Amino acid sequence: MKYALFTGCVAKGAGRELLTATMKALAKLGIEAEEMKDAACCGAGVVQEDSHTMAAVLNARTYALAEERGQDIMNICTTCQGVHRQTQRELDDNPAFKALVNKELDATCGRRYEGKVKIRHFYEVLLQEFGIEKLKEKVVRPLTGVKVAPFYGCYAVRPPAEVSDCSDPDDPDELETLIRALGAEPVSYDERLKCCGFPVLMMNKDNSMKMSANAVAGAQKAGADAMVTPCPLCHLNMDAYQPEFGAVMDEEPHLPVLHFPQLVALALGVPGKELGLDKHIVRMEGTIASM
Amino acid sequence: MTATNVTFKVFRFDPEKDTEGRYQDYTLAVAPGETILNCVNRIKWEQDQTLAHRFSCGSAICGSCAMKINGHATLVCKTQAMDKVKDGVIRIDPIGNLKPLRDLVVDLTPFWKSFEKVEPWLAPDAHSAPEKERLQTPEQFAKIDNSTTCIMCAACFSDCNVLEVDKRYYGPATLAKAHRFIFDSRDARTEARLRKVTEETGVWDCTHCGECSTRCPTETKPLARINEIRQAAMKAGMHDTSGARHVLGFRETVGKRGLLDENYVPIRSVGFFNLAGLLSLAPVGLRMLARGKNPPFIPHSIEKAGEVRAIFAKREELNK
Amino acid sequence: MYSHDVVIVGSGLAGLRAAMELAGHLDVAVVTKVYPSRSHSGAAQGGVAAALGNMDGDTPEAHLYDTVKGSDFLADQDAAEILTSDAIRTIYEMEHFGCPFSRTPENKIAQRAFGGHSYQRACYSADRTGHALLHTLFEQTYRQGGNIQIYSEWYMLRLIVEEGIARGIVAMDIQTGRIEVFRAKTVLFATGGYGRAYKITSNAFANTGDGISAAYRAGIPLMDMEFVQFHPTGLYQHGILLSEAARGEGGYLLNGNGERFMQKYAPSKMELGPRDIVSRSEQTEINEGRGAGPNKDYVYLDLRHLGREKIMERLPQVYHLAKDFIGVDAAEAPVPIQPTAHYSMGGIPADKDCQVLLDEKGNKVTGFYAAGECSCISVHGANRLGTNSLLDALVFGRRAGKSILAATEGASFAPVDEKKELAAARREIDSLLHNGATEDLHAIREELKETMTLKVGVYRNGEQMKEAHGTIKELQARFVNVRVDDRRKNFNTNLLEALELGHMLEYSELIVAGAEVRTESRGAHARDDYPTRDDENWLAHTLAFRKDDGGYELKYKPVTITRFKPVERTY
Repeated sequence: MKYALFTGCVAKGAGRELLTATMKALAKLGIEAEEMKDAACCGAGVVQEDSHTMAAVLNARTYALAEERGQDIMNICTTCQGVHRQTQRELDDNPAFKALVNKELDATCGRRYEGKVKIRHFYEVLLQEFGIEKLKEKVVRPLTGVKVAPFYGCYAVRPPAEVSDCSDPDDPDELETLIRALGAEPVSYDERLKCCGFPVLMMNKDNSMKMSANAVAGAQKAGADAMVTPCPLCHLNMDAYQPEFGAVMDEEPHLPVLHFPQLVALALGVPGKELGLDKHIVRMEGTIASM
Repeated sequence: MTATNVTFKVFRFDPEKDTEGRYQDYTLAVAPGETILNCVNRIKWEQDQTLAHRFSCGSAICGSCAMKINGHATLVCKTQAMDKVKDGVIRIDPIGNLKPLRDLVVDLTPFWKSFEKVEPWLAPDAHSAPEKERLQTPEQFAKIDNSTTCIMCAACFSDCNVLEVDKRYYGPATLAKAHRFIFDSRDARTEARLRKVTEETGVWDCTHCGECSTRCPTETKPLARINEIRQAAMKAGMHDTSGARHVLGFRETVGKRGLLDENYVPIRSVGFFNLAGLLSLAPVGLRMLARGKNPPFIPHSIEKAGEVRAIFAKREELNK
Repeated sequence: MYSHDVVIVGSGLAGLRAAMELAGHLDVAVVTKVYPSRSHSGAAQGGVAAALGNMDGDTPEAHLYDTVKGSDFLADQDAAEILTSDAIRTIYEMEHFGCPFSRTPENKIAQRAFGGHSYQRACYSADRTGHALLHTLFEQTYRQGGNIQIYSEWYMLRLIVEEGIARGIVAMDIQTGRIEVFRAKTVLFATGGYGRAYKITSNAFANTGDGISAAYRAGIPLMDMEFVQFHPTGLYQHGILLSEAARGEGGYLLNGNGERFMQKYAPSKMELGPRDIVSRSEQTEINEGRGAGPNKDYVYLDLRHLGREKIMERLPQVYHLAKDFIGVDAAEAPVPIQPTAHYSMGGIPADKDCQVLLDEKGNKVTGFYAAGECSCISVHGANRLGTNSLLDALVFGRRAGKSILAATEGASFAPVDEKKELAAARREIDSLLHNGATEDLHAIREELKETMTLKVGVYRNGEQMKEAHGTIKELQARFVNVRVDDRRKNFNTNLLEALELGHMLEYSELIVAGAEVRTESRGAHARDDYPTRDDENWLAHTLAFRKDDGGYELKYKPVTITRFKPVERTY
């Protein structure tokens, strides 16, 4: 099965290293994926504020494109994934809404969403389709001794009925399981399911900074060497703005934040310099930096 | 159908002698079908009368018994205990974002006061009071059917990620209360209400974290209501806030090229003529530039972007 | 000492509606042991009655007759007429205040069928009508701002009545344990019912009837206490209310053999018979071995034929209660139910203007009023019709407000001996904190509640009630040495529960006492040793007076009959 890779806007913009790392990881795993160059932004919950229905049409178009190719969609952004699952569930659960959306989709693009496509995040593909045992077999450079603090991103877990596929959205262990499979040690801390504050960055930067700083502080206190997140928006807020957290944190912040596919690729043996780690504002130190 | 031994780790706090809370363990044989409220009551009645907690109706309508179960707020009278056991343990804390008064009881004053901000009463057109009922279509009633189910249990207030960092924020229940009037066809102050809740600390400060809708024990689901308010504000042309400009930034870039332009949207959000705001974007911009992490200066476009433009144009047309 | 022109105790529909009538005119305080939105009015589900005629040719006269017939002719017909003739105005008023009502296709307030009503009379907001009404009034208190001072989480300890004049109350701030006298020119009790004296009950834990026995302790008789309504559709073993709207929308009642057993008991109204009759029918099926389940101790409410869509639109709360509390999907399976103690017809005797009566001759207490479920005016007689309670609270809450306004404007404060009152309140608390501490509070309460459900329940008889009476006496004696472990001042809910239990033990004896003596079956009071109504001897209201030695004395007063002579009651 070849996946339709939905890159999302960040992986084509301020987080291009995410796309690079994803492609490297997929190649090592032998998972085939083709970038959806004709798919539009998922709306990120923002186009939805302009018009809930229009945003659904926009996303139904994406699903229709994948269905036309007979592919399932793979996301590499928790926000894209959450928004897609939310839209797809609403379309599938509400036939009247689906009919309305398909009518507009047909009128504007001549396409139709049938309801066949499966939509998963990269890490869900690893867990649900590729298989954790197979992943372990592929690990050539176990990240032994590296303490990693997973940061899920809201759209992975809330509201669970709308967006989540985690076995227990209030206390998920999907990322922890994967981190262990890569040989690293997951770090437990209170903020792992909190909001990073990115969505209000432009409306209330103080709040946004405090939220990200709290998460970084929590992970740092728990002794993490790095954070890892499947959401590039969380990554942006916690990495690119980290130099500004000092004002709201007790201690000086210094915690690298990895994209989840970067962590996978490292364990699969891809050299760090090929994964764009040098693009991050907060640089890696120690074990990972030497890889 | 046998009972299972469960350890309840219960938060205890007495302001007269404790500086901070502590946990006390109680073991109960929990029967299948037993609610957590029933368990907490049994702890109080059978093991430790000094435990203080709030509860009343026991049937999920009075809103008294919100507590944090394993770290997340929930209405305990409608929560099955066996569903929440983790490794033989259920942890119970008072709801968050409010000051603990004693054990599981918190000071709700900030919660009740928050509603004052939205003038929570129907303000119909005084000149058109009919003798009988005001007419309302079933469709109009359906618009407030969700937001009027709120029982003010404060579970959303407890777990709201924004309130954690900003006590001035309206809060989800209060915004749902505002929704209940903004979308009530009988209310005559829709525009003023919309203006009020779109100001600073209002709907645009919500970060979409989804905690409120996840914890909400009713059909209120505040996040969905907040999003409906935002859509209404956009439709009403209330575009003079950073939140609205952010949405316009999406409209103007995604609607054109199918992808977000990460250089344009921040500038659009703070406002083209907001010098201080624009300067505040500079440090992060420079940091990213130094790493070659800045978004491409010439924005990408997806293939077949014409279809996306058609979708946006169609909606524009329908909105008119 | 606090001082307010008017002190209202209770923040449900009656209390808040009265407060609104007074706000801006007098200095009014509402003292409530919960927060207003927690009040039990909010738990009412199915509807509020008024002959709007939005669905059919209903009239206030028909509403009046249904109410009187439903009461088994024990209602005072002049009072019932006020209830039914003021109903329409009341609903429009609540709608104007902003209450969200479900709508007809003609955009009017929707109305549904309900037990004992001969027209589609129940105005509703899905199946959370009480919640919609309560929150509407709570919204209005925000509008009133400082005009209504609300003392939330204050527990009323004593009513101060001397020389037939009410002078205020003594109350405790639950959050701090501070005890204060509230001096008032007028006191209104809107403290709710006493259903918590029963084990299987739909009532909130807060419904311990404190106001009723506080009045009794202050020398006021209690009226018709033996009339306790059992609602036919309590969730099995929980007692949680599943709205009568479930039957109003067409739900069936089935016995263990899958038969619609109401055919035998109310062939024309079927499931929409009045509550007393339907509850008895269920109990008969169970008693005669036709119940469902391994112990054959429940029957079924069957909604499956309504279809999921209608259930979710009209009965969402019923659906979720069954799902969340016993895991039954009502769209796919019938829901196990049993009769549950639901409403107190009895209470503090009051006249049509809600002023409290001092005796059977019609003498009144100056400055003391009662409205809502704690009062007995009596509009419901021996059995209340569904949807008449929300109406009662709203109609008589407003009416109380109006009469209080008239009586209080220009009145002055009667003197209060603050020291003496505080000392009396402290004495009661001390007796709970400092005693032999040999008796378990919860055990006493459970035994009381079980006794009431088993022996003073849907069906009663002399022998069982005698046993119950003995048990209550014994529990009262044990209560003297009840153990209260919590010694803190703030949020001492252990002490509160002990105070509440003291009230429950006191008035429960009056429920049994009135029932034992009343050798007939009328409305909710059904005896298998006296199965028929006896108008010759018992067409009368019971009044229980407290004697100085702590005992009681029963007296009777006639029922006011204006338009409808008592006839046999069939459905």
